Amino acid sequence: MGAEKKKESLVGVVVVTHGSFGQSLLDVAEIVLGPQEYCKAVGVDVNRGVDETVDAIRKTIKSVETGRGVVALTDLFGGSPTTMSLSLMKSENLEVITGVNLPMLVATLQSRLMHLDALAEKIRDAGQQGIKVAGAMLRKKTTAKK
Amino acid sequence: MFLVRIDNRLIHGQVIEAWLPYTGAKTVVVANDDLADDVLQQEIMSLAIPQTISSVFVGVENLHDAVADMPPSDVLVLFSNCSDARRAYDTGFAFNLLNVGNVHYTPGKKQISPSVALSDEDEGCLRHLTKKGVTLDFRCVPNDPIQVRF
Repeated sequence: MGAEKKKESLVGVVVVTHGSFGQSLLDVAEIVLGPQEYCKAVGVDVNRGVDETVDAIRKTIKSVETGRGVVALTDLFGGSPTTMSLSLMKSENLEVITGVNLPMLVATLQSRLMHLDALAEKIRDAGQQGIKVAGAMLRKKTTAKK
Repeated sequence: MFLVRIDNRLIHGQVIEAWLPYTGAKTVVVANDDLADDVLQQEIMSLAIPQTISSVFVGVENLHDAVADMPPSDVLVLFSNCSDARRAYDTGFAFNLLNVGNVHYTPGKKQISPSVALSDEDEGCLRHLTKKGVTLDFRCVPNDPIQVRF
């Protein structure tokens, strides 16, 4: 009963991307964090009609909505997975965040008890902070020790 | 000469990342009756267009008047389907070259390239335009090879 209640308070997550990129990201995130609930991927097949695809995204959003709202993580700002997701803000309690990467998705899945607005900011920051020129960082560290 | 494209997704990644830089267009004109009346959808579509490029949304039959004062080579015109392109042509918007970029598949259509599937009606519209002297270009993105597939 207690576990049930906790589940229902999670913000829903939908990864909306071109092709199978979103599903692959989700598969990898589940390897890192274990299986997740109220979290799904939708691949936009560009050879299908816009209305049909928007319907598929809408159904997926509804299927992960627990009453706390849903974040849609999309790939390219200006791309059709993003514009299609944005068009659903009229009817759904939804935030749309572009540029999805693995650090963002992992941070999202770890923070789903937050309020939607605060969660959105955290996701953006995690995405940006996940990008490092790691080789240069390492070089700097090793040179300093010499 | 106006740059004219049919794309069932109108403004999206291929247009923003590939066609706008390639053409150097300064204005995107979306000729679509549904979008012309939907301000929210217009805002969504134009959100990711670079700030140096303007966007205009007009009804298909108003296109001719809307672009009358624009320098043609600065304008990229987008239609979502073949019949809109034909209708614009027949109501006074003349063009010589039509890029047929994305026309999505539905059952009964004939797939003529990876991104273009034509119904009999679509084909009729394109034949109508070629008879008027319009050249068809079936590139989905600018660096696709130019091939006659029609």
